[in-house]
Amino acid sequence: MALLSVRNLHARVGDKDILKGIDLEVAPGEVHAIMGPNGSGKSTLASVLAGRDAYEVTQGEVLLDGKSLLGMAPEARATEGVFLAFQYPVEIPGVGNLHFLRTALNAQRRVRGLEELDAMDFLQLAKEKSKLVQLDQAFMNRSVNEGFSGGEKKRNEIFQMAVLEPRLGILDETDSGLDIDALRTVAGGVNALRSPSRAMVLITHYQRLLDYIVPDKVHVMAAGRIVRSGGRELALELEEKGYGWLGLKDGPGGKGGEARR
Amino acid sequence: MTAGLARYLDVASRFQARGAASEPAWVKRVRQQGLAQFERQGLPTTRDEAWKYTPVSPIAEGHFAPVEDVGDTAALAARVEALALPGPRWVFVDGRFVPALSSVEGLPRGVTLQPLADALRDDGARLESELGQRALAEAHPFTALNAALLEDGAVLRLARGALSEVPVQLLFLTRGDAPVLASPRVVVVAEEGSEATLVETYASAGGAGPTFTNAVTEVTLGDNASLHHFRLQAEGDAALHVGGLHVRQGRDSRFASHAFALGAALARNEVHVAFAGEGGDATLNGLYVGRDAQHLDQRTALDHAVPRCSSRELYKGVLDDQSRGTFHGLVRVRKDAQRTDARQQNRNLLLSEKAQADARPQLEILADDVKCAHGAAVGRLDAQALFYLRSRGIPRDEAERLLTYAFARELVEAVPAGALRQRVEGLLARKLPGAARGGVTP
Repeated sequence: MALLSVRNLHARVGDKDILKGIDLEVAPGEVHAIMGPNGSGKSTLASVLAGRDAYEVTQGEVLLDGKSLLGMAPEARATEGVFLAFQYPVEIPGVGNLHFLRTALNAQRRVRGLEELDAMDFLQLAKEKSKLVQLDQAFMNRSVNEGFSGGEKKRNEIFQMAVLEPRLGILDETDSGLDIDALRTVAGGVNALRSPSRAMVLITHYQRLLDYIVPDKVHVMAAGRIVRSGGRELALELEEKGYGWLGLKDGPGGKGGEARR
Repeated sequence: MTAGLARYLDVASRFQARGAASEPAWVKRVRQQGLAQFERQGLPTTRDEAWKYTPVSPIAEGHFAPVEDVGDTAALAARVEALALPGPRWVFVDGRFVPALSSVEGLPRGVTLQPLADALRDDGARLESELGQRALAEAHPFTALNAALLEDGAVLRLARGALSEVPVQLLFLTRGDAPVLASPRVVVVAEEGSEATLVETYASAGGAGPTFTNAVTEVTLGDNASLHHFRLQAEGDAALHVGGLHVRQGRDSRFASHAFALGAALARNEVHVAFAGEGGDATLNGLYVGRDAQHLDQRTALDHAVPRCSSRELYKGVLDDQSRGTFHGLVRVRKDAQRTDARQQNRNLLLSEKAQADARPQLEILADDVKCAHGAAVGRLDAQALFYLRSRGIPRDEAERLLTYAFARELVEAVPAGALRQRVEGLLARKLPGAARGGVTP
């Protein structure tokens, strides 16, 4: 059975339809990449899966291990095993990074009926997991993402994923804003977290990330739908021919500067 | 004359009539003048500009009166232990000093703490020239009422160069078993080069009925003296509270006020600082946390009357339910007060649709060579941050609590680490979202 099943998913913001019928099946152990031009709805899909309430789901269903996620609060989805690595991780002054993460882990453990970790045990765990993405101790004790560089923020996201050990990791443009060294580090962390029981969905504009995290399947989104699915070679073909090859323009305005970043 | 004013005048007249014949003439005069000033000014209403945001009608309509005899207070010992820190503490119940609950053990040499009643009787020569000099009865109706009912309180004296490392604590408990009017007066005189920390805690005990605390503290800081003043107002849900802290700073003196307004149905907390010598430095920190229908007003006035003084002011409000908070901060820089450096910040966090905050900064700058900055803001919890926390599995109420505490923590961390900060954290924890409803006192 698929770990994640998205069926005929429609969603909108206000009266603007953004997702217009997404179908996606991801099996345990698989890594799927979702590519597409700006404005195609990739990031909206990530937000809807994680439960951001700015979006209204008008049709369809999302199942994790056969259990419906729609209608669940974001914290309940997290406890079911959904993790979203944010494209723009939020800075939260005054909330310590480690305190935040221990609160999150213990909240999840509580719901699952597991014993909470005390400060010492948690610190041990955090130290071990931080090595995956070479996150310096100094960052662990600062306020959440406050004053972090772009690369540090993305490493912090993967560090959190490592600690929370989700069933499904959704990585929303985790590669954006990273130089090649940071990209290697982050990708290394993600690869280390691949496991037969865990699935990942990588959302990206560029195929570059897929040189480091090799996906099992690649999907191309455009105008709120998945217009093409295939293997790894689909990403390479896109890289070579551009989105125009699929009859797509490179995104309607707004974020059009992204390609030049 | 309103019925409320007539009732207070009657209460004060009876109080003055019962005073012992042996009391010094000057004390009687202070009370009589207080009564006259109170009658002249009357009870304020929201039509008075200075009271526009403070609906004093519960005070005007209440039948509050001073307590003559507090009776047996032994049952309060546990409450005192829960609220006080180790070290010297004086405990007042319903406005009256209770020696049996108090201890001056640990007061260092050069630091003396005297019950106001004793000082009025024995120390008239000095006290007459100090009492009522910072807090002027003619300038404030509730200061006048406090003077009219002058009887109990404390006098803290710091001799030249005296250094008190342990905080001096004054704990004011009101019992809601009767409509008590408590009017403590605290006089602090810090001589040249002395340093101390004073903690005033206001809390409730006993019944849940209304009480009215009308407290006045007067502080005179000598040259190069330093005082850290903490005011923890955590009275019960039915309490009414008016507090005035009046400070005069000598040359190169340092004053820090940390005002936490957590309790009471209606509370107004005023801090007035006047710089009388160059080089003075004042820090005014305030945190007000309201919920239910609480009304919490903060009023500060900084008088930069002389050159080269600096002031730093940071007040933050957290308002939930239908509560309302006001910050009114006056910074006056007089014509001769060149090279003044004054900064004022007020930030408010609204946690519900019906909560309300009014930020009223007021700067009057008559000197030209000054640095003055101020800012005010009213906002809500950051939706992005809330989603981020929840997406990691943190339940909504816990996430709100984390973010709210993050907003307030700057003011908690301005309290030196240790027992006092823990006490502040404990009182605050009872007020933040997700905390059990009910009184804020342990």
